[in-house]
Amino acid sequence: MKSNYGKILKDGIWSNNPIFVQVLGICSTLAVTNNVKNTLIMAAGVTFATGLGSLTLSAIKDLIPRKVRMIIQVLVLSFYVILVDIVLRAYLPAVSKQLGPYVGLIITNCILMGRAEAFAAANPPIASLVDGVANGLGYGIVLTAIAVIREFLGFGSIFGMRIAGAWFTPWTIMIMAPSAFFLVALALWGAKSYTARAEARRKAAGAVRSR
Amino acid sequence: MKKDSIAYVVCFTFAACALFVLPLALANEATRPRVDANRRFAAESAVLRAFGIAYENPEDAARRYAALVRELPDGGWSATVDGAAYRALRKTGAGLWGSITLIVAADDGAERLRGVEILEQQETPGLGGRIEEAWFKDQFRGERIGPAGISINQEGSGSGDADRENSRVDAVTGASRTSDFVEAIVNAAIADLRSGGAR
Repeated sequence: MKSNYGKILKDGIWSNNPIFVQVLGICSTLAVTNNVKNTLIMAAGVTFATGLGSLTLSAIKDLIPRKVRMIIQVLVLSFYVILVDIVLRAYLPAVSKQLGPYVGLIITNCILMGRAEAFAAANPPIASLVDGVANGLGYGIVLTAIAVIREFLGFGSIFGMRIAGAWFTPWTIMIMAPSAFFLVALALWGAKSYTARAEARRKAAGAVRSR
Repeated sequence: MKKDSIAYVVCFTFAACALFVLPLALANEATRPRVDANRRFAAESAVLRAFGIAYENPEDAARRYAALVRELPDGGWSATVDGAAYRALRKTGAGLWGSITLIVAADDGAERLRGVEILEQQETPGLGGRIEEAWFKDQFRGERIGPAGISINQEGSGSGDADRENSRVDAVTGASRTSDFVEAIVNAAIADLRSGGAR
């Protein structure tokens, strides 16, 4: 069973990564990745909501009538998202103000409903928790990588700390949404061609062995 | 009861809603004082900064606000700092993406600005959003108000106009539109202050 959890983790983070394999949650990728700190908080919020949401939905899946399955999924997921929103508003007001409506919009992030439908509806609770967390992490890792590039080129800083010298002219485009499109596309391209090449190599090795 | 019967579906949905909404309502209620305090601090500290009153922490800000600032019936504020009287008011105007709300403080005769503080803005981060940066806001501090108010210099150095007598401040480079909007809001506030606002 342990190796199974390992596989679920690897799936969410790499082989079935929500951003560059499932291509979900792109809207928030465009919105929050111009600053590393906000991205990390957003990723933590998504990981929390998709992990616990999947756990809860999996635990009550035998009680949920088929007709209202999606309504209940949205209810449970928004429960966790609103919890995140309440905590941010009370304890991190500056972050809450900067993220604005995007925290509430985690509910509409397709990754949450996607995992609830694709995994939690048919798997035991702990495996669903691991799957939700793994997908949150997969999302967070890609977003953070994009945010590091965008914040560095766009502001010359990381975590709000200036790194580039005074000679550095910030690339304005990096702060605006289009740059996230470029970077997500590059990440997709890189990951896809890497997995395609690895796949081809594995096939070639198999062919040699079977001969 | 069968899982697909209408009675079960209705009962389950109601029960699930009640079960999940109740803790949220409790959490919201429990954090309300904190959220209110955060909001109050954000509003009061902005007024203090516009008046140029320094504070160390939220408690200090609340104390100084209570001691020094008087809230006026028209929504403006007055304060006496170092023996001089100042007036301030809130002014909202159009921005590039959403409205911009400023607090504009000036001396009693509306001859010199005391300070300008940004209460709310949704400008582009890194471009128009830079109106929140200290160098931009500090340009307004003590600036003489000319007959036509304050003008924004689009051909300035982009790093701040230190001359306090020329009624002019530098625009934010790459954000000419946002700078124009701020200019318009500041001048509208000055017009209000001249015509007896915040008294």
